[in-house]
Amino acid sequence: MKAAAFDYARPDTIAAACALLAADPDAKVMAGGQSLGPMLNLRLAQPSCLVDITRIRDLGRIEESDDAVVLGAVVTHAAIEDGRIADPSRGFLPRVARGIAYRAVRTRGTVGGSLAHADPAADWLSTLTALGAEILISGPHGARRHLPVGDFVRGAMSTALEPGEIVDGVRIPRLSAAARCGFHKICRKTGEFAEGMGVAVHDPERGVCRIVAGAGGGRPAVIEASRGAGSRLLARLVDAEAVREALIEAGVAGDEYRMRVHVAAVRRAVAEVVSP
Amino acid sequence: MTRLSLEVNGRPVTVEVAPRTHLADVLREQLLLTGTHIGCEHGVCGACTVEIDGEIARSCITFAVACEGARVRTIEGFDDDALMARMRRAFTTEHALQCGYCTPGMMIAARDLVRRKAATPELDIRTEMSGNLCRCTGYAGIVAAIESVVAEGPAVPATAADPARWRGPAPGPDATATVAATAPSPTAPAAPRSAPAQATAPAPARPIAVEVGPVTVVDGETRFTESFVLEHPPEAVWALMSDPQRVAACMPGLTLDPPGPDGRLAGRMEVRLGPITAGFSGEGTATRDDSARRMVIEGRGRDRKSGSQAAGRVEYVLSDTAGPNATPATRVDCVIGFTLQGPLAQFGRSDLVRDLVARIGEAFARTVDLRLRAPGDATVAPVPLGGGSLLVGVLAGRLRRLLARLFGRGDA
Repeated sequence: MKAAAFDYARPDTIAAACALLAADPDAKVMAGGQSLGPMLNLRLAQPSCLVDITRIRDLGRIEESDDAVVLGAVVTHAAIEDGRIADPSRGFLPRVARGIAYRAVRTRGTVGGSLAHADPAADWLSTLTALGAEILISGPHGARRHLPVGDFVRGAMSTALEPGEIVDGVRIPRLSAAARCGFHKICRKTGEFAEGMGVAVHDPERGVCRIVAGAGGGRPAVIEASRGAGSRLLARLVDAEAVREALIEAGVAGDEYRMRVHVAAVRRAVAEVVSP
Repeated sequence: MTRLSLEVNGRPVTVEVAPRTHLADVLREQLLLTGTHIGCEHGVCGACTVEIDGEIARSCITFAVACEGARVRTIEGFDDDALMARMRRAFTTEHALQCGYCTPGMMIAARDLVRRKAATPELDIRTEMSGNLCRCTGYAGIVAAIESVVAEGPAVPATAADPARWRGPAPGPDATATVAATAPSPTAPAAPRSAPAQATAPAPARPIAVEVGPVTVVDGETRFTESFVLEHPPEAVWALMSDPQRVAACMPGLTLDPPGPDGRLAGRMEVRLGPITAGFSGEGTATRDDSARRMVIEGRGRDRKSGSQAAGRVEYVLSDTAGPNATPATRVDCVIGFTLQGPLAQFGRSDLVRDLVARIGEAFARTVDLRLRAPGDATVAPVPLGGGSLLVGVLAGRLRRLLARLFGRGDA
């Protein structure tokens, strides 16, 4: 099908984009359009105006600091896959990027677009929750704020963005040298929406041990250890029954099949972290 | 219409397009480059794959206006490309095509794979090529063709990463001057938008746990149960929940017309879920049983924009229970069923239903609670769902299923 008619605007500053969005509640931000495009073509979405933010130079930025790297919102999955960013994750981000949909989607799909779309099956949502990343948000009149990814997402395709606000980037903390990460997703077909997704990040030097179950229908479920308790938690989560209990406690629900998928994804992610 | 300039297969072209026109249509219909095929037209099959600024992309979900100033290369633009010449020979040798429909996209994706990854050990060609579908099931020949080109080694030197290269979707800010197509000036002052209804609440909404039973689909109807406990005596809860007008007022996004003489209900529900917006207009009936404190609401509605239709039924019954300090409280048990037909039904993600209905139920329960705590007839706006980006309403049932049903088909 063809998309229904819409207006198109291509602002070159964040402020102009926010002003356009604030002025028209039915306007919609488009970055790479790899989730929105199909919804437009199927006429599931019929916005009055598309605000194309891919010509805003600031949104393609990479900012490095001692403890974190900021990726601008329109950095593509392919740029991450190809190592064209400063990588705070010691290879973990490129690895996750490689598994997102297909190459022809990754060249246009963006990290900020994925987060703002907040599809529970999206790779970045779970991965960046596990890494403890923060979403940077710009609003009308130059307002800026930031939120942890876990607080930014309110539910399936629902976020804390207010009218006139856009995601302008994501701040990802640097992992220390001893950190280990695991990622596993289960899809019926390569590149399709995931049915289950497990992400595990263990960074003992920074006192971080976070396990995330994604693709569950709502916001990512988080299992977290307090400082120093990471190894103990991981050792416990090698066991399937323990994983299932922890997931239920974290709010994961589903029929027997879905629960098994979630448990398997999380166990495999944990296994990567604890493997010698 | 917008005048658009870009480079296609090395030649500058200028075309007039509507913003909604995707790149594949411009290439095929206006530039007559019919080598670019359109298969699914929503980014699944890969038949429309082209190169934009040297990277492969799907031209059916890339709008032409977004390509102002870009360099586009279609299958016709690879005639003189050495690597593609090898790929063509290999496709011929290995019988890598039958009907040819997927072939242009398949070859552009395959060439790109060899360009980027020919030197990668243990290259998993099947996984890498999984974004391009072949309905003749010619994958064995296609994979063999790509393997043979990979085995010959890369003919083109791997492109060195240019650190200054734009990291966003092509073409990026350096392509051309910024154009605002048919849209208002971006510098227009920000008009105060209609803010989401703010609750003029006398007290903050308190969280209420909503239990959602398993979601099942029987004969096309999606069914589930929801239960929650309100810390108010059943008489007070029933006073509110026996009145469809007051029930409706607790649902964000729902507007009910004043009651008609025949007792029929009519109204409209605004749904906003991610990029999907819909406005369902419809009517229904409510049947109450005061002695059992039971209500059945049935209805159907239609979304004018998409033409989608929905029908549903909700039944709820109130019962006595005890609150935390043995105070009187009310348990509300709902049985909900709905069907959805039309375009919105295409978007089937049954795994999202549970999250959605739980949040709808929670927003409703919290608003009922707020209203019962509000003195007199103070106006209490519905508690918004998910920070305002999801405004969902339900007339105790009927329209609720429509939007849950947005995600309700299949198990994709």
